[in-house]
Amino acid sequence: MDCSKVRELSVDLQRGTLAAEPDGEARAHLLTCAACRAHAEAERALSDALEAKLPRFAAPIGLQRRLAAGWPASGSTARAPRRLWTRGRGIAAAAALSTALAVVVGGTTAVVVQDHADARRVTEEAVNDHLRMLGGAPLAQVTGGLHEVKPWFGGKLDFAPTVGFAGNSDFPLQGGAVEPFLDRRAAVFVYKRRLHTASLFVVPADGLTFPATVRAQTIHGFSLALWRSGEQGYALVSDLSLPELLDLQKLIASP
Amino acid sequence: MSSTDRGGASEVVSGALGHADALYNLARWLARDPIEAEDLVQETFTRALAAAHQFEAGSNLKAWLFRILRNAYLDSRRRSKTEAAELQVENVDDIGPAVETVDESQAAQIRAVVADEIAQAVRALPEIWRTVVILDLEGLTESEMASVLGCAEGTVKSRLSRARAVLRERLAPHRP
Repeated sequence: MDCSKVRELSVDLQRGTLAAEPDGEARAHLLTCAACRAHAEAERALSDALEAKLPRFAAPIGLQRRLAAGWPASGSTARAPRRLWTRGRGIAAAAALSTALAVVVGGTTAVVVQDHADARRVTEEAVNDHLRMLGGAPLAQVTGGLHEVKPWFGGKLDFAPTVGFAGNSDFPLQGGAVEPFLDRRAAVFVYKRRLHTASLFVVPADGLTFPATVRAQTIHGFSLALWRSGEQGYALVSDLSLPELLDLQKLIASP
Repeated sequence: MSSTDRGGASEVVSGALGHADALYNLARWLARDPIEAEDLVQETFTRALAAAHQFEAGSNLKAWLFRILRNAYLDSRRRSKTEAAELQVENVDDIGPAVETVDESQAAQIRAVVADEIAQAVRALPEIWRTVVILDLEGLTESEMASVLGCAEGTVKSRLSRARAVLRERLAPHRP
């Protein structure tokens, strides 16, 4: 098997989907060809990067509500639909996901209870909002640090965000913003770490599911930490590794 | 309506909402902004319900919905004269690195990229290659991707290979 054929089969080889004979021939070639080994390793690195780091967008909660409201119940006959789903219409008729959402999958009905649905929408909102920040949402200038950012929030928010970490050489503070977060406004603090961006969203926690102690997870390739302190909920999102994100979280949460 | 038709329609009704996230994700990689992406997903569900009786029970519902979404996307583009012209000239299947040069540093460079860089690289791909990359990440087989795109399996394989070659080059440019 020559180099061009081995490279053509590289992804299939990586995924183990080749038949025994070509699989064996390709592996034998890789043992003797450094250039093809480098190619195969680059292919594997690309697969890993795409799977772990490429943002995956979850359907916004409002869209899910509109779809659920216009969709027939399982067991009923599909019929030609009316166009009920244009944004802004039919929302009043939508069953609120915050109370309970009946999801019909494969003939069984699972009820996603309130806490689960709330936690999911907070995590997905945080990741979606972080992507919006990466997409170029405007930031307030903060050459003077936190004491310039906090007054900037005055008049834009109906609460005073409690954040004491003004950034340091490892995690410099880049700026602040006010962005929608579900049904309320969030104070956003943006920190950097090398080429990475971390967005901290601070909102009044009332009515949302923020854990009393820090809960960290990865979602759609992003690291996320959620916690609650007093009356405020905190969501910290970045493509930093989870340990590095938690380093930043400790700095932010320390009194 | 035959019993097969009823079975297919029933699968659409019971299963389609479970694919909303995957459909929205593809829509975000196709559309210009989140609002257009939401419109595409809503149009997809409208069309899926109207055509539910055509769905073959037991086949891949997610692939069927992806095909509807992409057709809705192409229809929306054709409605714009400028973009229709762009679609006609966007024949990218002959484009690609002529001779690939790979060295041992490329994998390390790719492993060091951050999410924003890889997102930009994927966003910069021609639409047809971007779609193949996303469908591949969704776990569709080459046969299912061919069904979504209305082309031969060999074409899918070639497009995916070229798209990945361009991504590798953009994320880890070869420096002679």
